[in-house]
Amino acid sequence: MEFVNLQGIRLDGRRPKELRQLCAEIGVVSKADGSAAFEMGNTRVIAAVFGPRAVQNRSQKIANRALVRCEYSMAKFSTGDRVRRPKGDRRSMEISLVIRQTMEACIMTQLMPNSQIDICLQVLQADGGTRSACINAATLALADAGIPMCDIVVSCSAGYLNTTPLLDLNYIEDSGGGPDVTVGILAKMNKVTLLQMDNKLPFDTFEKVMQLAIDGCEAISKYIREVLLENTKQLEYRRGL
Amino acid sequence: MRDIDIVTDMMTSSEGESEGFAVEMEEEASRHIFPIHFYEKHLLESIRPDGRHLSHARHTTVAFGPVSTADGSALVKIGDTTMLAVIKLEVMTPFADTPDEGTIAVEFIMPPICSPLVRPGRPIEVATVISKQLSDAIKSSGMLNYKELSLVSEKAAWMAYLDIYCLNADGSLFDAADPTAEEEFIMDTVITLVLNSSGQLVSMYKPGGSVVAHISTFQDCFVLAKHRAKELMGIMNDAMQLMEED
Repeated sequence: MEFVNLQGIRLDGRRPKELRQLCAEIGVVSKADGSAAFEMGNTRVIAAVFGPRAVQNRSQKIANRALVRCEYSMAKFSTGDRVRRPKGDRRSMEISLVIRQTMEACIMTQLMPNSQIDICLQVLQADGGTRSACINAATLALADAGIPMCDIVVSCSAGYLNTTPLLDLNYIEDSGGGPDVTVGILAKMNKVTLLQMDNKLPFDTFEKVMQLAIDGCEAISKYIREVLLENTKQLEYRRGL
Repeated sequence: MRDIDIVTDMMTSSEGESEGFAVEMEEEASRHIFPIHFYEKHLLESIRPDGRHLSHARHTTVAFGPVSTADGSALVKIGDTTMLAVIKLEVMTPFADTPDEGTIAVEFIMPPICSPLVRPGRPIEVATVISKQLSDAIKSSGMLNYKELSLVSEKAAWMAYLDIYCLNADGSLFDAADPTAEEEFIMDTVITLVLNSSGQLVSMYKPGGSVVAHISTFQDCFVLAKHRAKELMGIMNDAMQLMEED
């Protein structure tokens, strides 16, 4: 199948190094301490953060830092065919673990001992890159909840099809049989916290694809910073400052 | 009650710019620590903390088709409570005793994002109860013609999966009465009524709770429900017209 045509245009009309359209909104769930909705093209996710609050399961309480829990679930209507097991299946549990560890790297847990922070992720529409969209949404939700973080975490994916590195794969490109590299970085500190790759790639091509994903992350981090700045201005305005 | 008065005196006696903030904090504290007293003060004036009259519902909005990949969808917001209902159709073989009919499977899901009371990993009890209530109400109302869902008699029919996701739980999840989650927490009992568009009572639900002394209370509820049903019909018709215009 031709994923990139002779003019260099992909199936959805993008260029190989083009990100999908990003759209973020903070404070979508009033009941949560912090929440955000993040869209990357047709992939839409909602992240809600509850905490820091008392640990619900006493046996898991940690004396010197906060316990971070994360749950990833897909809505039954999020994919083309109805999802049979929205959570508790292997893929969801793996993604929950990965995102938890990624976010734990940036949350300053030692400032909130004996407490618990729950990060809940709900995928409403899945069109590739749900892992990245969830991490970006979780960053915004944690910021909305006022939880201290050492940096913002952003994530993006990239692949390699028809001998071209492609940024931000959608579902069709992801199922195209080529490699899929997902990167999560701490934006300001420029450190990699998440790196996953499947399929086969020669090493120098891998370096190119990873660099492309990191460039995508930088573009996303710029957007996230704008969204956070705008949100803070709105809060100041509403408080009459 | 005396404790609140003492706290009030202590707080308002502090001077300077902090006075406004102190009063705000004292109100917030009394709201959480003595919720019944807080609400009773408001009820004496026949008003609720968010300024609503006792029989007024929160601002309601209906939007059709937010999920373009689904066969049908709608997003409803009553105040902060947000519900996303999505229909996906699949072909199935009809049941042996109803060869010319399709069927609908209704499920109400409360994902962890909607409320701090839903713990990740543990499905919340109220979601299953509401799921059953909705299923019963839809089936008993007779509003669906299952014969329309048939494709080939005895061989194929549509199975409609109706999944309703709660995206924000701030009270009134079953969508009939309009107390907020805070008000629901201190209420002794809830009576839920479902009406159809011609004002007929489709179902009534009072799951235990304290005793209601007079039949007239039920009648008052019915009058309120009828009024609210008319309001909702108006909102839905406007939304459907907007959808048809697109």
